[in-house]
Amino acid sequence: MIRNKHVAMTLTVIALAAVSLFVRDAYSSNLVTWMAIAALTATSLRFVSLIGELNFATAAFYGLGAYGAGTAVTLLNLPFAVALLAGGVVALLVSAVFGYITLKTKGPYFLLIGFAFTEVMRILYTRSDWLGGNSGMVGIFPPSFFGAYFSTFAVLLCGAFIVLLYTIERSDLGKVFMAIRDNDNVVLSVGIDVHLMKVACFCIGSFVAGIAGALHGFANNVISPGDFGFLLSTFALAYMKVGGEDSPYGPITGAVLLVGLGSLAMRMGAGEHVFYGAAIVLAVLLMPKGIVGLAGVAASLGKARKSGKAGNAPQLRTKEGRSHG
Amino acid sequence: MANTANVLAETRSLTRRFGGLIAVSGLSIDIRKGEILGLIGPNGAGKSTTFNLISGFCKPSSGSLFFDGEDMTGKSPVTISRGGLVRTFQHGSLMRSMTVRDNILIGAIGALKGSRRNERLTRVNETAAILGLTPYLDEVAANLPHGIQRLVSIAIAFAPRPRLLCLDEPLTGLNQTEVGTTLEVFSRIRRDFDCTILLVEHNMKAVMKICDRIVVLHHGQMLATGTPQEVRENESVVSAYLGKRHGA
Repeated sequence: MIRNKHVAMTLTVIALAAVSLFVRDAYSSNLVTWMAIAALTATSLRFVSLIGELNFATAAFYGLGAYGAGTAVTLLNLPFAVALLAGGVVALLVSAVFGYITLKTKGPYFLLIGFAFTEVMRILYTRSDWLGGNSGMVGIFPPSFFGAYFSTFAVLLCGAFIVLLYTIERSDLGKVFMAIRDNDNVVLSVGIDVHLMKVACFCIGSFVAGIAGALHGFANNVISPGDFGFLLSTFALAYMKVGGEDSPYGPITGAVLLVGLGSLAMRMGAGEHVFYGAAIVLAVLLMPKGIVGLAGVAASLGKARKSGKAGNAPQLRTKEGRSHG
Repeated sequence: MANTANVLAETRSLTRRFGGLIAVSGLSIDIRKGEILGLIGPNGAGKSTTFNLISGFCKPSSGSLFFDGEDMTGKSPVTISRGGLVRTFQHGSLMRSMTVRDNILIGAIGALKGSRRNERLTRVNETAAILGLTPYLDEVAANLPHGIQRLVSIAIAFAPRPRLLCLDEPLTGLNQTEVGTTLEVFSRIRRDFDCTILLVEHNMKAVMKICDRIVVLHHGQMLATGTPQEVRENESVVSAYLGKRHGA
């Protein structure tokens, strides 16, 4: 069953990558890249939520990934693959220190620290002349052989990391993460180092956010401190909430939908932020389990109606408690 | 430390202050290998604090704790648990959104670090069979009746196969049949796995029935200790529970 879910997810990624091959115009191709990056960022946010924490520092690690990759390419002249990995590793290393210190707090305290850290990092970039200061960094180009197929590469890479995070979520390690969210005292009482596990989850999520940030750099060719403010975490939260956080498909669905609609909302100027805010409010009020959760309920209702058993009410809670995917 | 061969754990003058309040004061108790020791007392007597001190969830203000001859004073709950002392909690000692299988698996993971997944699953199945939870393995814990949830809590704590199992009011809210079943489980765990049990419980009938010895706490101090019969006949215990006039 679990293996089937992995196969389904991998096939979905391959199908999306195949679809991206047919997207030929530059604007749409870029849009696909941004959708993939947004899906990976939201998946990273969802991964850290397995331990019950809302990680508003996602934007900071995304930014560290972008600046890590940017520095590797423009200042150190390192190859593309190394720069991409460097983005993730920089985010991982910083998150290990940040997580070890801050994950002793929980809930709103952790969220606020993450928010503050994101803003501190943004200001640090503006004050660092060697990173381009307020203007940021330019010339972060992917290898020319990608040509028009960079979006396909982005979909494949983001998809691979999303499948990887799902694999970890379904493993015993993922179950420990979820148990910490449910009842950390019980996990502690059976001899599992809860703090270490939380840091591990945070580091994995931050590494992936770093990779997403590195891809951002290569997709945009230019990065500036303003790209990595707390709004980025808010957008990721919107993707996760609108799509549905119970399923690994939720952040993907939310990202594709909101980035797509957001491209239309860009004409609204500052109203774009109103659009994302409204999306979160509407999703929480009308679809607490997101679009994927709603689709799951609809599918169960259809199945129950088909089998003609009125008593077969749809099961909102699956065996895993969270996963509908 | 005064450690005899058959003592598994002992506290020496264990004290815990919360500001001006002394929750536990100079408590010295021995927990002997293979026994079921009851820890009773009126509300606010310091039972839960004693539990927290023994399991490392609360650091003592003074005094010491020894487990299997090793000084565990001030050690973390993880270290104490890995040493073989596992506890349950009075309220919510399980992961409600997870299946019974995954709940017990968390207990097995703690004890079988670095083992293969099959070994952990075997441990889960064995533990479920001992506690009669096999039919519920795929059920989400929150959907189960209260009595089964209590057994799941015990299963999580028993999965690491502790040498000392500390149970905090495991019989609360259970009906008479469920109490009987749970007491049988305790006896089985003790007999077949050489597991010592420290039991905090308000159900006096059950405590008197299953415990080899009982320690009575009152205002954070040990009021009496002895066999159930000795404790039942102890005048200070009766007066602490029922008031002086009844005890007189």
